Amino acid sequence: MKYIIVGCGRVGSELAYTLFTKGHTVAIIDHLASAFNNLHPEFRGRMIEGEALNKDVLLRAGIETADGLATVTNSDTLNSVVAHIGRTAYHIPRVVVRNYDPDWRPLHEIFEHQIVSSSSWGAQRIEEMLAHPDMHTIYSAGNGEVEIYQFIVSHKFDGKKLGDIIPNSNCSPVSLTRAGKAILPDCNTIVHENDIVLVSAILEGIQALRQQLI
Amino acid sequence: MFVVIVGGGRTGTQLASILILQKHQVHIIERRPDVLARIHRELPTEIIYEGNYSDPLVLEQAGVKNADVVAACTVNDADNLAVCFLARRRYNTPRTIARVNNPRNAWLFDEKFHVDVALNNAEIMARMIEEEMSMGDMITLLKLRRGDYSLVEEKVPPKAKLIGMAIKDLALPEECVIAAIIRHGKVVVPRGITVFEEGDEVLAITSHDGAIQLMDLFSPPNPV
Repeated sequence: MKYIIVGCGRVGSELAYTLFTKGHTVAIIDHLASAFNNLHPEFRGRMIEGEALNKDVLLRAGIETADGLATVTNSDTLNSVVAHIGRTAYHIPRVVVRNYDPDWRPLHEIFEHQIVSSSSWGAQRIEEMLAHPDMHTIYSAGNGEVEIYQFIVSHKFDGKKLGDIIPNSNCSPVSLTRAGKAILPDCNTIVHENDIVLVSAILEGIQALRQQLI
Repeated sequence: MFVVIVGGGRTGTQLASILILQKHQVHIIERRPDVLARIHRELPTEIIYEGNYSDPLVLEQAGVKNADVVAACTVNDADNLAVCFLARRRYNTPRTIARVNNPRNAWLFDEKFHVDVALNNAEIMARMIEEEMSMGDMITLLKLRRGDYSLVEEKVPPKAKLIGMAIKDLALPEECVIAAIIRHGKVVVPRGITVFEEGDEVLAITSHDGAIQLMDLFSPPNPV
């Protein structure tokens, strides 16, 4: 696959090397030649120095035939605008935008881009690990609006119905694993101590569940 | 008209001042604290809105929902494009105007980002300078519609080709019309049969190409 990355900072250089090691063709654009020093010494790909809004620069990077585009600079407007060009003017099938500053997220939503908000996602993870070590996220859908959490049933809930533990709104059971065997539970499933339960929930649901588990 | 200006740099501030003088309602949005400090000295405080223009709350406080025009005047082309896109997509703003900072980015300032009018400073300047250099004795009185058309004036010199010719015989291009002739201090309303005389001051509305053809008629006939 042929990928274009806009922005050769920490995210861009890391992404470029990852794609390269998986055998893809990578072109990376940055307006500062010195930014290419961030790349892994073993990275082999095209480095294009220039402004990403300049058509010649985009054409040199191969935007007409690219399979994917990632805009990962530290400017949210630039990321959004270049991604919009990729999607509408060049019909690139896969375009992903980095949301750098959480304040700018509404902009990406208006453009209807696929975004990765590493700052807000990271802060959310860290908060969980600090405050709720007993419960952790297995999977985040979107940018963490819906997440799948895992918790281990404590002694206090042994023999109770799952429906008595998890809140009945904003939260649904996903699986229950007992002695290495998983089943699809419902609210009437009886839980035992040390069962591993996965639930899918939005923030409100998970806050209610945390209250319950304390 | 109600105009929301995004970007309080020199261009945005100047635009706001001119529009206020013309009795338009203006709100201006800026997020850089140092720039805000300056514009608070130059513009009435009640029209200045502080904050990030990707934030719907800031935009709505500035009244973008009711704006007739949103003018994106920041020094960042990506910001200007994003502002126009947002204004139309989210608020259905009837008219969007954006400043082009880098002429190489001009290709983006169209319906791709819902930009109705792109103002490319560098290009307008370059064109005006070029016209001033090439126009000889022709004087540009007024630029119309971003400089595509102009009101020009030139005095008919002795031996000009058009002396003794009627307007209908000039074979003027479509994008050039004679608007008025000033003869002995009086305005002559031009008709097809009006014949030019030496010393006439000719006013014409014309495109750049039309002006070049018109200029040729003011020069002496080519030696045969």
